[in-house]
Amino acid sequence: MSAPAAITVENLARTYQGGYQALKGVTFSVAAGEFAAIMGPSGCGKSTLLNILGLLDRPTGGTYRLEGALTAGLGDAELTALRRARIGFVFQAFNLLPRLSALENVALPMAYAGAAVAPRLERARALLDRVGLGRKGEHTPLQLSGGERQRVGIARALANKPALLLADEPTGNLDSTSSAEILALFKELNAEGTTIVLVTHDPAIGASAQRVLRVKDGLLA
Amino acid sequence: MNAREALRAGVREISANKFRSALSFTAVSVGVASLLYTLAQTQGMKQALERNLELMGPGRMTIEKKRDYVSKGLSGGLTYADAVALRRELPDLYMVDPRSSYSLTVHYGGRKLEGVDVAGTTPDFRKRDWVYTLRGRFLNEWDVANRARVAVLVQPAGWVKKPFWAKFWGREDDYDKFAARVDVLGQRVRIVDSVYTVVGVLTPPPRDLDPRWDSWSTPNAFVPITAFQQTFGKGDASADLVDEIRVETGDERTLAARRRQIEAILKRRHRGEEDFEIKDQREEIESEMENMRKYVKAGLALGIVALLAGGIGIMNVTLATIFARVREIGVRRAIGAGRDDILAQFLLEAAMLGAAGGLAGVGLGLGGVKWLSGLGGTRDLAQPTVLHCLGVVALASAVSAGFALVPAWRASRLDPVEALKAE
Ligand SMILES: Nc1ncnc2c1ncn2[C@@H]1O[C@H](COP(=O)(O)OP(=O)(O)O)[C@@H](O)[C@H]1O
Ligand SMILES: [Mg+2]
Repeated sequence: MSAPAAITVENLARTYQGGYQALKGVTFSVAAGEFAAIMGPSGCGKSTLLNILGLLDRPTGGTYRLEGALTAGLGDAELTALRRARIGFVFQAFNLLPRLSALENVALPMAYAGAAVAPRLERARALLDRVGLGRKGEHTPLQLSGGERQRVGIARALANKPALLLADEPTGNLDSTSSAEILALFKELNAEGTTIVLVTHDPAIGASAQRVLRVKDGLLA
Repeated sequence: MNAREALRAGVREISANKFRSALSFTAVSVGVASLLYTLAQTQGMKQALERNLELMGPGRMTIEKKRDYVSKGLSGGLTYADAVALRRELPDLYMVDPRSSYSLTVHYGGRKLEGVDVAGTTPDFRKRDWVYTLRGRFLNEWDVANRARVAVLVQPAGWVKKPFWAKFWGREDDYDKFAARVDVLGQRVRIVDSVYTVVGVLTPPPRDLDPRWDSWSTPNAFVPITAFQQTFGKGDASADLVDEIRVETGDERTLAARRRQIEAILKRRHRGEEDFEIKDQREEIESEMENMRKYVKAGLALGIVALLAGGIGIMNVTLATIFARVREIGVRRAIGAGRDDILAQFLLEAAMLGAAGGLAGVGLGLGGVKWLSGLGGTRDLAQPTVLHCLGVVALASAVSAGFALVPAWRASRLDPVEALKAE
């Protein structure tokens, strides 16, 4: 028997308060180890979809299975535990905590997971090495360039060894050189077995993905 | 997240918002300081009361002439003979000490000292409120029986640390200056027209260490009551009068019964005239304590109000902090923080702010108490105990965390997606 898909969604819908239907019923699955890109015009529901996949938001209709398990009916604490253990988030605006050093930012998810300080810092250092920032661990986000910040963000997303990496326009705030570096990094991570789902407007990234999910007006095109 | 890291993160946040933090910090510290001061005062008063009651004796009362009483001409007033009668009729009384005093002129060598407070008393004087060190001897029964011309002089001990007000307020009269310089033990002094031999010198404790409630009322010289009446009395029927008779039953349980007996005896001796008053000094002290307790309660209320104001300040700080960090909350939630983590983070920050304010308040309070004690005049101020200090710091951080509870709880319930969209 094959391993369950990383993500399986059926008829997934999200209607916001006030009645706006951001997602009108989408069905797809992402296999473990796959690299999928979500593309589509602004306002079509990409972020809404990604937030649901990341367990930050709940659908108002349809089902979402993460690694084969239904997520409906889980409480906030259970969703948090799943998110912490299985999912890494990368943001367009990097969202590093400004008062923490790069190293501390990377170590933070492990702190929430209850890891001890020493192994936490050790792994954070290794991750910074992995993204090519081994020597900038003590820098604060303000002392880093945009591309460097996003690499710290990716290292942080990898902290708890997630099976699934979600990224919402990770290169949206970066120049083309930095974007290319970030894309290369995602490809390497995917080659190492991490499932990646990212939202992007960048055709180069779309072309690199194994699969492109095109969203339009809350539906898959 | 281990405790040390959480604390470090808290310190970072607090110091990143210095002005905001300083406001609530100040309010909390003022609250804590005033609570501490009040505790010190309560403690001090309790100790002073206990020492006083101990010195005073358990069954103590004072018989005095009734104020504003117009005699019907039947009674001869409160006299030494009354004291002798009480002693005879109620032999189990521990102390019967009649006392009279006048402000008189004393001559020694070529010197003339005016306004010396001379008291006639009995050896029973020693039995209560005895806080003196004695050189030579005190008056004895033989002196009283024989109207001996002997005197015991009081040598003022001054202050360990003179309070600021005593520097210009406290009178240093001729006698005190004289007694401080000249040792008259064994010498003869002339009081008005009579020559007395100084057989003893009494030194009370330094003023600021004197445990007595009414330490200021110590006379300058003691002589046998009988000699006093003979040499300074007017030579008529009034010569036997005394100012007061101090009585001690020796037992709190016999106080009420003896009091009634004394009343009956004196009323009979005064031919029905109730021209005397029996005062229970313990009652007096206790009523004074009651008054002071009211002040303490006011102080306590002030401290609590200030602490609550500090708490509200901390609630504000927490609200502002949370408002400014909504996005951070979203980020933390996205990377794995649970609601409890967010709640704990903000509660901890508030508690730390409260504890820091509390510690500053303890510093302020201890410094203030020390300063006030240094100024003197506040011998009823006990040093706050370690327990008091820890208690108020714990209270400050608990109050702060309590006030931060609602904002922190709301922060923990924020929708992560909405929070991430915040600027
Ligand atoms: N909390 C919300 N309440 C109402 N409408 C929302 C809310 N969040 C997003 N929307 C709307 O849903 C649509 C999809 O939003 P989003 O998923 O962010 O689009 P995008 O594809 O650009 O990421 C947009 O039209 C947006 O205005
Ligand atoms: Mg979007």
